[in-house]
Amino acid sequence: MRWCGSPEHRIHRRSFLGGTLAGLVSTVNLGGIGLSAAEPTIAPLRQRGKQVIFIWLAGGSSQFETWDPKPGRDTGGPFRTIGTSIPGYHVCELMPNIASRMKHIAVVRSLNTVQSEHEQAADLVSIGRPKEAALDYPEIGVVMSKELAVPDSELPDYVSFFTTSEGRRRPRVGFLGANHSPLLLEKSIRPEDLDPPPGMSEIRHHSREDLRALLSDRFARQQAGSEIVRGYNSAYQKIRGLMRSDHLFNLEKEPLTVRERYGRSPFGQQCLLARRLIEARVPVVKIARGFWDSHHDNFESHRELVPDFDHVFSVLIDDLAARGLLESTLVMVLSEFGRTPVINQDVGRDHFAAAWSVAMAGAGIRGGTIYGQTDADGRAVKDGEANASDLAATIYQAVGIDPRSEYQAGLRPVPLAKEDARVIKEILR
Amino acid sequence: MNPVKTPLDPKAIKLLANYDVPGILYGLAVSGDGKTLFGAGQDGALHSVDLRADKPKVTKQNPFHDNYVSSFVWHDGILISGSYDRHIHWTDPKTGNCVRSIIAHDGWVRKIAMTPDAKHLVSIGDDMRVNVWDSRDGKRLASMTGHEARTPEGYLSAMYALAVSPDGRHIASGDRAGFVCVWDLSTGKTVSAFRATDFYTFDAQKRARAIGGVRGLCFSADGNRLAVSGIGAVTNVDGFVGPCRLEWWDWKAAKRLMIGQDKHLAILNHVILGTDEKSLIAVGGGDGGGAMVFWNGTDAPPQVAKPKGHLQAVLLNPDDNRLYAVGHGGFQVWGMDESPKGNPDPRRLLPF
Repeated sequence: MRWCGSPEHRIHRRSFLGGTLAGLVSTVNLGGIGLSAAEPTIAPLRQRGKQVIFIWLAGGSSQFETWDPKPGRDTGGPFRTIGTSIPGYHVCELMPNIASRMKHIAVVRSLNTVQSEHEQAADLVSIGRPKEAALDYPEIGVVMSKELAVPDSELPDYVSFFTTSEGRRRPRVGFLGANHSPLLLEKSIRPEDLDPPPGMSEIRHHSREDLRALLSDRFARQQAGSEIVRGYNSAYQKIRGLMRSDHLFNLEKEPLTVRERYGRSPFGQQCLLARRLIEARVPVVKIARGFWDSHHDNFESHRELVPDFDHVFSVLIDDLAARGLLESTLVMVLSEFGRTPVINQDVGRDHFAAAWSVAMAGAGIRGGTIYGQTDADGRAVKDGEANASDLAATIYQAVGIDPRSEYQAGLRPVPLAKEDARVIKEILR
Repeated sequence: MNPVKTPLDPKAIKLLANYDVPGILYGLAVSGDGKTLFGAGQDGALHSVDLRADKPKVTKQNPFHDNYVSSFVWHDGILISGSYDRHIHWTDPKTGNCVRSIIAHDGWVRKIAMTPDAKHLVSIGDDMRVNVWDSRDGKRLASMTGHEARTPEGYLSAMYALAVSPDGRHIASGDRAGFVCVWDLSTGKTVSAFRATDFYTFDAQKRARAIGGVRGLCFSADGNRLAVSGIGAVTNVDGFVGPCRLEWWDWKAAKRLMIGQDKHLAILNHVILGTDEKSLIAVGGGDGGGAMVFWNGTDAPPQVAKPKGHLQAVLLNPDDNRLYAVGHGGFQVWGMDESPKGNPDPRRLLPF
């Protein structure tokens, strides 16, 4: 994929092109990493037809108030549990809609990711391995956007929403290079600067593009094999495609009943847009829902956040299923960590990475599976401990990407998932 | 209620004793003879301290609620408690036996209060209702609605604060979004409603969530004014990172009269009248640590003592100038000297 590499990650055409150029150049010049940096060294990885939605609960949601409640324990807090469509499995009472849809959902309750500082933990979970000084790894979503890309698509391969500013992350492209940067939507859910300059008619705009293409083709023939020219052309193709796809970002195009079903919260709007993008064959969409860092007033904040998540996530699952998209779309609910068993003096929960939960549904996932277990108070993993690398390997495997496949970073073969990662097969079909 | 001649001096007040209980206590009451403190909270159990013992210590009875206990009232030898288990219990503290239990709300019971004539018990819950009960038999007499179930941004709201006027004619209730309703007890009708906007922070830009709300309410001695407590504008809604704040309102005119705010970063969960019946005492906690706030209701800023831990409720014994408080870590007793005086008149204990 070739996409915006500008520092602001905005879709202003000039900065878009400049960024693309910079991205291409960086691909050939990254220290020790050659042109083949983004190429697999073993059998082609590319999967067709699979797509991914990442839902990032920024700040660290509480497993106690969602997937792994401990009612009646000192650590459990005041929320009760409710039964689910999986016999014997209960979730927090704040998730009645999810409870009735567990046949679609798998939960890993036994993550021990150790790292409990926001930035480092977010890197760890997003990349699937500890950072290394010697090599800049791409995030899982970036790898997937490359491997799940639709050939010749005019749409971006990765769209990332992070409209709140706290803990905002821009997916790391790492050694894959800036041409794999996602389209970032940070100020609104519609890309900026997609409209032609004021006063320019559509006809004139097309004429300009025709002239640019003519000159570009002539130049390309003279400079056969130029990666940079191919990059320019691809970039223009993408931006033209995005301009033609502007309607995708307009939720007014959705029937009112559908918009109302998703609700008016920003998270609801973004999930509806995610579904529209998935339907239009964008391979990877990431939505960040902030901000779950409930050091104080944990129960009041989760009472606000979890019902919104419960409602919107359930509508999204239903909508994807009704449109026949859930089978081919992996929906991942992630966070940088969970929250402490201990309830602090300000009725809050602090950062906790030793025993927490994630959930997933859709492509490759054996819905209705609960993997792993924590102890009675949720202080430690009791069974089925998994780490960030295991989770990454499982995510890749779910959409049919072999996590042992390798990229070649200079002279170094780099497996997609860390060498010792274990796929959690129990939750996969 | 008779004014006390020697008001508490905020500069002289100090922690006299604390009685540790693991976790957080929310409900606080004192027995009618003033000898025993009762507290309950996170573990659903009844904790008590015999203040007249040579070495007072905490006694814990078995849990008497199935969830957090949020609020207490002492009446005629019986402890009445509201809980997140949706129930109100009448409990004989001597035996621990529950003598009456009612399902009070379809949601957490957040606060209960007794009218001065002890005929009516009032409760608020997360069904956003204000319910009035016959305190003798537990029968519901009225159920008032007026608070919105959702905040202006569309998220679940909650009921946090409750007060009964000294003449028993009016009830005030406050919610998460800062809305306050004043009700006529005899008719069940709303007689005033206003929004104390500054107690609610919704951060759409950075974190897309809210914090705050009207956490404490208290009528003035003449019943004409209403004190509101909570937290001012919060810079980081991950926590109580805003100034502790009090306001006096002319509730009939829905007009704010005075603001008392201190830079100490805390939310004030509970507010009561001071010994002079003009000043306010509020407790809470937050990013700046625990807070015990004294405000004389003038332009002068409040004075802040820093108790051990985040406090949830406070009760004043005006006869010996003692403040009893509960919160994180258990009970605290505050006062100006270390020598407790004779038995206080229990009728002058301000109920929580």
